[in-house]
Amino acid sequence: MVSRFDQQKTKHQLFHVSLSLATILICMTYMQYRRNWAYLGNFWDSLVVPIVFIGELLKVVLARFYGRIEDGVLTIKQRQKKAAYFTARELAGGFTLQFLCTLLYAFICIILGAPVLGNYEETFVLSLLMTLLTVSPTVFLLGGGGALQVCFCEKPDFVTKCEDTALNLFKYNALGGILGAWAGSVVAPLDWGRDWQVYPIPNIIGALLGSAMGNIYACTHVLYATARVYMTKKRA
Amino acid sequence: MEHQKSRMGYTLCMLTLFICGAVLFLIGFFPASYTASEAENSIPNDRPTTIHGVRLETPPPSYDSLILFLVDALREDFASATSMPVAFSRACEKLTLHVDIPTVTMPRLKSITTGTLSNFIDIALNVGHTEQLEDSLLHRLKQRNRIVSFAGDHTWINLFPSEFTRHAENNDSFFVNDFYEGDRNVTRVLESELELKDWSLLILHYLGLDHIGHVEGNASPKVQHKLKEMDEALQKILDHRNFPNYLVLLTGDHGMAEGGGHGGNTPAETLVPLYLYSKNCSRPSSGSKRYNQIDLAPTLAVLLSVEIPSQSIGCLIPEMLQSLSLEHEMYAYFYNAQHLLNKARVKFGHETVRRSDYYTWYQNATLLHRQLLLPLRDGDGSGASQVLYQNAKLNYIRMAREISGLLSESLVRFDYGFIVLGLSLTTATSLHIVLSVLFLDLTEQLQLDRLKTRQLLICLATASLLNVASHVLDIIFTSSMFYGILLVVPLALSIYLTFDVAQALLKVALPPLYTRRLKLSIPLPLPLLMCFGIRTFTLGSSSFIEFEYKTWYYLGNTLILLTALRTLRRRITKANVELDGRHLHKIASACLWQQRKIFVVLILLTLMRYLHRFHAIRSTLLLFSLMLLWARLRKFAQLPQSCASAAACLVVYCFRGLNGQVQFFELPSYLTSRLMVPTLVVFWCCLALVLVLGYRAALPQTLFDKRFGEKPMPPKSVLLQLLQANLTSSLLLAALLQKVQNVILLPTLLIALDETYKLCDAFGTSARKFSVRLLHVYKIIMTIFVSRMFYFYQGNSNSLSTIDLTPGYIGQTSYNPAIVGLFVTLNTYSAEIHSFLYLIVHTLRSDLRSVGIMQLQPPYSVAADSLIAPLYASLVMLPAAFYLCLMVGFRYHLFIYSVFSPKVLYDCYTVLVFYFVFVITTLYFKLFKRDA
Repeated sequence: MVSRFDQQKTKHQLFHVSLSLATILICMTYMQYRRNWAYLGNFWDSLVVPIVFIGELLKVVLARFYGRIEDGVLTIKQRQKKAAYFTARELAGGFTLQFLCTLLYAFICIILGAPVLGNYEETFVLSLLMTLLTVSPTVFLLGGGGALQVCFCEKPDFVTKCEDTALNLFKYNALGGILGAWAGSVVAPLDWGRDWQVYPIPNIIGALLGSAMGNIYACTHVLYATARVYMTKKRA
Repeated sequence: MEHQKSRMGYTLCMLTLFICGAVLFLIGFFPASYTASEAENSIPNDRPTTIHGVRLETPPPSYDSLILFLVDALREDFASATSMPVAFSRACEKLTLHVDIPTVTMPRLKSITTGTLSNFIDIALNVGHTEQLEDSLLHRLKQRNRIVSFAGDHTWINLFPSEFTRHAENNDSFFVNDFYEGDRNVTRVLESELELKDWSLLILHYLGLDHIGHVEGNASPKVQHKLKEMDEALQKILDHRNFPNYLVLLTGDHGMAEGGGHGGNTPAETLVPLYLYSKNCSRPSSGSKRYNQIDLAPTLAVLLSVEIPSQSIGCLIPEMLQSLSLEHEMYAYFYNAQHLLNKARVKFGHETVRRSDYYTWYQNATLLHRQLLLPLRDGDGSGASQVLYQNAKLNYIRMAREISGLLSESLVRFDYGFIVLGLSLTTATSLHIVLSVLFLDLTEQLQLDRLKTRQLLICLATASLLNVASHVLDIIFTSSMFYGILLVVPLALSIYLTFDVAQALLKVALPPLYTRRLKLSIPLPLPLLMCFGIRTFTLGSSSFIEFEYKTWYYLGNTLILLTALRTLRRRITKANVELDGRHLHKIASACLWQQRKIFVVLILLTLMRYLHRFHAIRSTLLLFSLMLLWARLRKFAQLPQSCASAAACLVVYCFRGLNGQVQFFELPSYLTSRLMVPTLVVFWCCLALVLVLGYRAALPQTLFDKRFGEKPMPPKSVLLQLLQANLTSSLLLAALLQKVQNVILLPTLLIALDETYKLCDAFGTSARKFSVRLLHVYKIIMTIFVSRMFYFYQGNSNSLSTIDLTPGYIGQTSYNPAIVGLFVTLNTYSAEIHSFLYLIVHTLRSDLRSVGIMQLQPPYSVAADSLIAPLYASLVMLPAAFYLCLMVGFRYHLFIYSVFSPKVLYDCYTVLVFYFVFVITTLYFKLFKRDA
């Protein structure tokens, strides 16, 4: 329920969404430029993972940038959390969490039909991409322990308002990515004989498109809320 | 308040009606005889005698003796230079024949002898009895008192009981364990016939290759051995002295798929070689040309100088007519062209034919033919113009091709009356049961699950009125009064059900204002609904049907994984509430450890996909899986019973060992064959013992009361014990029937179901608001998905070529359709049968106290017959009904006979198998559940 036209928050949200969409657009442009999609599953040959990585980092930077304004009104817990962000413990925890997540995604890929023996590189790239789309932003924003708590606690109290906004948007991104990658497999049994039907190309593209969809959905939400506030303001 | 009436009876009625509807639909969709209605009499049977006023004479037979050397399942690459050197090197012509689906023996023999395409439903008749043909090449030969001799497959004798002068058939063509005996007999007959030499047509049908394919697959070393044997038999004919003028045709009735079966539509199954051998083959063979199998019948008729069978729609094979003189060759073309044109006239009408291209070609050809004849008659033949000849031949050939193609396309004919009736019955039934399961209030209100006599009477009256009206208006034709009256029954029933459904749907859509909206009586969780929806809607795509197993593996694993992850998250969140974020990773790892089993099951489910690769370690695997199975079965049994089942498992291993499929003591072969039968007898004894020990519970209780002073068992537990005994014995029987490396699937199925149920329990109890019905829905859908996954793990598919016939002959010395059918069904559908039984047993025996639910009103197990059975049945019926509707939409689809039709047979058969299992279960519920 938006009772007040929170300009700062809306700006943050819109910037965030456009960053995500821009990332995916760049990925698509890159893929269009390379024409042949068979490289998508290679780790060293594909720029999709680095592009998405930079995009997620930029989003975190954006959240930090908007969070700077709130610095004055932080609680003690939030301050402690902030101070502990760059400690070795947090960094190691965050890295471990992401690594475990990649392993989990690889496991899921294999359970859902990726070849058990072989195609390791492709599976690795896919699970890396999924990790980047789902877990990494939260970890970058809050550190390993913080991400775990956000996932499993009802309402952690160390999350600042601005971080909360970003987390909400991350959620759409992640859900869209997972559903997209899952639904991407739909082309696998079809007998069209196209070269892009080979695992993991449809899943990677599905993940990207899915997260784009999630972001567009989030964007419409934000715009709708803004418009409603605007209309009520005008009427008043 | 809770409505816990048993609804077995209602579900049974609905299932019965559904089956009837499906049968009606199938009758309409695959009309058993489409030629009966056709006016065949209008086609002249005799050979033409004049062409444009010039008199023609019928040519004499062009060969003294013709041998049809038919090797069952001889696919195109089998007759190669390495595997059949003599056959390959001495062939005059190497052609390829395209075989139509279904690629099974009986329809193919019909095609060869009558020259017409066969019906899809022939495949069902292929296994059982066969009808006799009315007209064929052999009938025509018999009319002319020519001697036809035959040796080989029994199917020929079913088709032509009296047309052969001499026949020496194998006793049972379906006894697939016979690799050599039958073929040796055929070769022996061949030798004696070669000496006799009074026949004009000799048919040899070798079955061994097909049997080897069915039992051991196409890569078996025995295949090469068999091909050598065929080669030698062929050499015997070719090298035989005093055989001046012969023609030998080496061909196969159908091919062999990768894996050894047949029945499908892959090139390996539909392409067979046709090699021709004669004494004076003029030209070396050029590139291999492709013809249709139906072309054989008219060509053979011409060569044998008999009339072309009236149903034939094939063209002539020019390569086979090379030995004919020019005049006779032209006569043959003219005769077949005229025959086809007459067929086309009957089929499409005179007017259409006259305006068509092929009629012009025909006119041209006949005029050229006449021009060609005159100089031939006058002089010595040298005056005949090569141009005229080529031109006439070309015109004849292309018009024959055109008409043949048109006629084969137009053979499809649907009986829309039956289709509509069947479709309305199945759709109404499945909607009816779904609605009655979903809306309990509505069921109460409208009395959906009770028979309303008044409504039924009204419906009967309407149906009879409708029937009479449509008879009067000539919308429906029936052959006799009896059928006309019989038609009222399905009509009335479908009107009754449709009325109910419409009423219920109206109530759901427009709730009356004064009452609250109708509430769903069972929860429908979105993921389950979505997966089920995807599974249903992907039936519309031919590639999804071909690779249906992919859908099931994907969706099934997704469901289990999703439920596991959600449960994990809920558990961690719950455990974390008090700790407030501290030690989170410890809690997470502890919860993960708690759920380790389900992840193991997921890995197992993934491994099962690669089961066919475990062939190398099959002995170990069989031993391991039998032990695992026994350990699982021990849960349901007391000591004596588990001893008996252990013995049964041991005997299964011995049996496989004696068969040479797993490692076993080295025994001399005479001992092995002698031990086989006692081993099986011991197995059956063990099985009987298991059953008897299990059924002891149902004996009159007083007997035991007096002797042991026990308390009489509560009726529920009697029922449970009986069902457990059934499950145990059917699992043991399945262990005997399954392929060696597939036995592992049985214990894995039990483990997977068990763990999935535990997961569902955990999921249900970790929710904020516990609901028993949610638990039931989850378990039912999981059961359906797991059972389908295991069904496909076993190697089944939607193609008819993967039906494994071998288990039907275990312990059989002859072909007994009932037993073979039972065994094959039990083997093919073992996953589905056992998972349904296991679900019922689980529901009856489980108690939720172990997962922390103490008091539950109503008790959990009551739902077995009030919710689980009807819901399961509706979930089985709904996709099938949807698929039947799709079939009508796709009836002119390119893949209708190759992809969609086998699937519809499979689907209907699945419902039928479920129906039988359900009937038996219902019987037990009715007989032994006395507490309700």
